[in-house]
Amino acid sequence: MNARVRDLLLLALVTTLAVAATLAWRQWTAAPIADAARELQEQQWLAVLPPQRYDNAPLQAPLPIASAQLQHSQLLGGYRATLAGTTSAIVLRSKIQGYAGPIMLSIAIDPNGRLIATRVLMQEESPGLGGQLGDPASHWLEQFDRQGAAANWALKRDKGDFDQLAGATVTSRAVMAALQDALRYFDAQRSSLLEHTSDE
Amino acid sequence: MNRFWLLGSALAPLLGATQTLANALAIGLSALLLVLGHQALMRPLHRMIGAPRIIVSLILAAALASCLQLGLNAWALPLALSLGHYPALLSLHCLAVDALAPHPGRWSALIRHLLGLTGLCLILGACRQWLGQSAGIHLANLAPGALILLGLLLALYNRLRPAPATSSRQGTL
Repeated sequence: MNARVRDLLLLALVTTLAVAATLAWRQWTAAPIADAARELQEQQWLAVLPPQRYDNAPLQAPLPIASAQLQHSQLLGGYRATLAGTTSAIVLRSKIQGYAGPIMLSIAIDPNGRLIATRVLMQEESPGLGGQLGDPASHWLEQFDRQGAAANWALKRDKGDFDQLAGATVTSRAVMAALQDALRYFDAQRSSLLEHTSDE
Repeated sequence: MNRFWLLGSALAPLLGATQTLANALAIGLSALLLVLGHQALMRPLHRMIGAPRIIVSLILAAALASCLQLGLNAWALPLALSLGHYPALLSLHCLAVDALAPHPGRWSALIRHLLGLTGLCLILGACRQWLGQSAGIHLANLAPGALILLGLLLALYNRLRPAPATSSRQGTL
């Protein structure tokens, strides 16, 4: 009986200490985890741009885009990348409704209004169909590289220029609409997006 | 029987988190750290028996695994993301070690087991990274490939180690 009571008291004591220590540790690591998460996220946003195309810290130079609503998509933010003092690219973050949920894209555009590259930041499309969007092995997004707003932005089945992702028409159309929106936005806002070209 | 169950309880992290050498090193060191920490904390409680001991063991393992996961998140986030939930699964291994490790000569057996486990992780990680990236065998990146590879490694080990006297004479006795 005595041993049993001792065991139970010990159990309660150890449980309290373990929970308290874990909570304290969580409190202690909360700030580093938030920093690490932000850093990782920013790296993913910039991964769209080849490193030799910029020598500044684009994320320190956010463009004044406050959730601009475009025709089909929503712009979440934009950054200016410069190389040797001149603007080499604009990186836009865009969100559009896909088939299963929102798709977030990071879109790099060169000063002539042509696409450099596109990366998928987040998507919830059906695995194996629209989900191939996020797979680097499917090179579907690469067909849009070097295209401008003037291209015929539609799928071949809609008498356009581009192949679709097999089995994912809705996803394909959504991504293309977001890219076209971003390129049109760039053309419309070109002067203000590029204006700080020579002040560095 | 003990050591087979010990290996079995570590199978999920062993197979799931060894795609690359870096991951394998991380999961191996995590296992080392977690099991030793758990055993060190359980040591003052050696007089407890029965259900309270199991519950205490469970709570300590869970707390240590949570702290490990948080630490990995804070200081090695990309690594932590590629390891997924496997560091948390190591707490299961802590429970198994606590229940199964022999009582006389516990620490030397434990050290031997952990070093063996970490070594196995490293070998498996190196093989999978090489097979997957250099040799282009995609299966090596997936868990089933890891299981097959582990089987081959254990078979190789059994073939190479000095054979116990009983196995070859069993048929003639």
